[in-house]
Amino acid sequence: MTPVTQDKRLLGAALVCAALFCVPAVMHDTFFLRVATEAVMWIGLALSFDVLAGYTGYLNFGHSAFFGIGAYTTALLMMKGHWPFPLAVLAGAVAAAVGALVIGVPTLRLRGAYFAIATWALARAIQQLALVSTFTGGPDGMRLTAYLNPQYFYYAMLGVTGATFFALWFLLERAPFGLKLKAVREDQESAKALGLNPTRLKIQALVLSAIPTALLGGVFAYWVTFIDPGSTLGDLVSDQALVMVVFGGMGTLIGPVVGAVLIFAFKTLFWAYLSAYEVLYIIILGAVIALSVVFLPNGALGMVFRRKRAPAATPGGDAPEGGLDGPDPLEEEA
Amino acid sequence: MTEPILKVEGLSKVFGGLTAVNEVSFDLAPGEIVGLIGPNGAGKTTLFNVISGYYAPTRGKVIFQGRDVSGKPPYALARRGIGRTFQVVKPFAGLSVLENIIIASFLKHPRRAHAEAQAWKVLEVTGLADRAHHAAASLTLAGRKRLEIGKALALEPSFLLLDEVVAGLNPTETDRTMELILRLRDSGISILIVEHIMRVIMGISDRLVVLNFGQKIAEGAPAEVARNPSVVQAYLGKEAE
Repeated sequence: MTPVTQDKRLLGAALVCAALFCVPAVMHDTFFLRVATEAVMWIGLALSFDVLAGYTGYLNFGHSAFFGIGAYTTALLMMKGHWPFPLAVLAGAVAAAVGALVIGVPTLRLRGAYFAIATWALARAIQQLALVSTFTGGPDGMRLTAYLNPQYFYYAMLGVTGATFFALWFLLERAPFGLKLKAVREDQESAKALGLNPTRLKIQALVLSAIPTALLGGVFAYWVTFIDPGSTLGDLVSDQALVMVVFGGMGTLIGPVVGAVLIFAFKTLFWAYLSAYEVLYIIILGAVIALSVVFLPNGALGMVFRRKRAPAATPGGDAPEGGLDGPDPLEEEA
Repeated sequence: MTEPILKVEGLSKVFGGLTAVNEVSFDLAPGEIVGLIGPNGAGKTTLFNVISGYYAPTRGKVIFQGRDVSGKPPYALARRGIGRTFQVVKPFAGLSVLENIIIASFLKHPRRAHAEAQAWKVLEVTGLADRAHHAAASLTLAGRKRLEIGKALALEPSFLLLDEVVAGLNPTETDRTMELILRLRDSGISILIVEHIMRVIMGISDRLVVLNFGQKIAEGAPAEVARNPSVVQAYLGKEAE
């Protein structure tokens, strides 16, 4: 991808952001604004999930823990410490970043399924901790003072998600950091030989993924005014983000956005019109994931762009056409 | 005599009960090509992995540019100027050839634009420029071996470890790679090379170190080593009496 096409895409992203900024001005229906707010939140969650899943190659089933840490820290500081909302949210991000460091050091030594299981288990442990602790309200959760201003929360979500998108664009697509993460994803041993410290890079990626997730969690807590261990620390955030990222296309920034919008739109429409067939929702979602893993390895977006990037995507070791030297049929045998 | 760039002192590597490398010592002078040979399982790749930091030595030391670097991680050694290739090539398969090299160039050129400019120079030297935007996975074996060398070169190392970069190439490719290695030496890079093809190793090495069952059994000029009875025995077996 040349810098020019990247700049065009960035301009496109900026225009989309500007358009999203105008949404509350034209959309006076509270229900739709609520849907839009949640959609923007899921875009942010899918983006932050993709930092680890797509760019670094680690499926973090503990992603929800960062969301919950952000939500609970914000709720606790606002309700018990009487902190102002913005400061409480920022403190939640700091808490999640520290949590990412603590979780990352032992778990990021693991690979593949072991990492997924370890992070899932840690997230469950944190959920149980919130469930049995008294200061978090245990299973009763926590109630926050309601602030009834839908537009405020829409802009808060958009601010976090927009900032996340552009920060990730800069760090992952422009700065060396993104390519270094991809090197670790592709071959950790080879990355070491090139002077990269994989453990350090992976921990940085985990922290980078945790911060926006916790910010969104904090905004979410104040927005919905009630949180409990299930709604914020449960599996939902990790699972949905995974589905969105896989469906949209991993390892890109546009993929998670597209995946989040499509999956969230499907979810909203389903609950609006077909809520009587509740059980079907999970079945359909499962089928979508299974099918997209098999038939759309690069995601919905990857399918659209595949033709443009023709030979680069050839998997395996076959040589499409001879270079200067001409292919030697014996070379592949050796 | 100048101070050697690399000194391997009494190096041993034991895996469980198996001594893969046993008390090996040798030096490498700046600008020298040393060939490391020996039958399969002699410990050549293990020795490479210890020198490049992938394994910590069980005993002994690796001194690089006068400093003890034994047991330092590979990325720390890369930063000090040690580049290596892998016998089983390890391209970043999903990334383009250019991106593969840029990642290595970041070591000396942290800014993306500089790293990219530098990467293009390496692509020219290694003859990969015409495939720059193709996925590394789409390269032929010859291309992937050159990519391995390219990645190591982009680190701008003072010392290169080349692990069977010629094996599996056709004669034309082999000649091109030998030329490349000699040019690298002429540019001041010291090289330790493992290779099975005798034409190559005899042709480019200034000195040979021979391993058998983890031990050094001979060292010296290629012609001298080729006549050494214990080397002949290690390769061909004992003459029938």
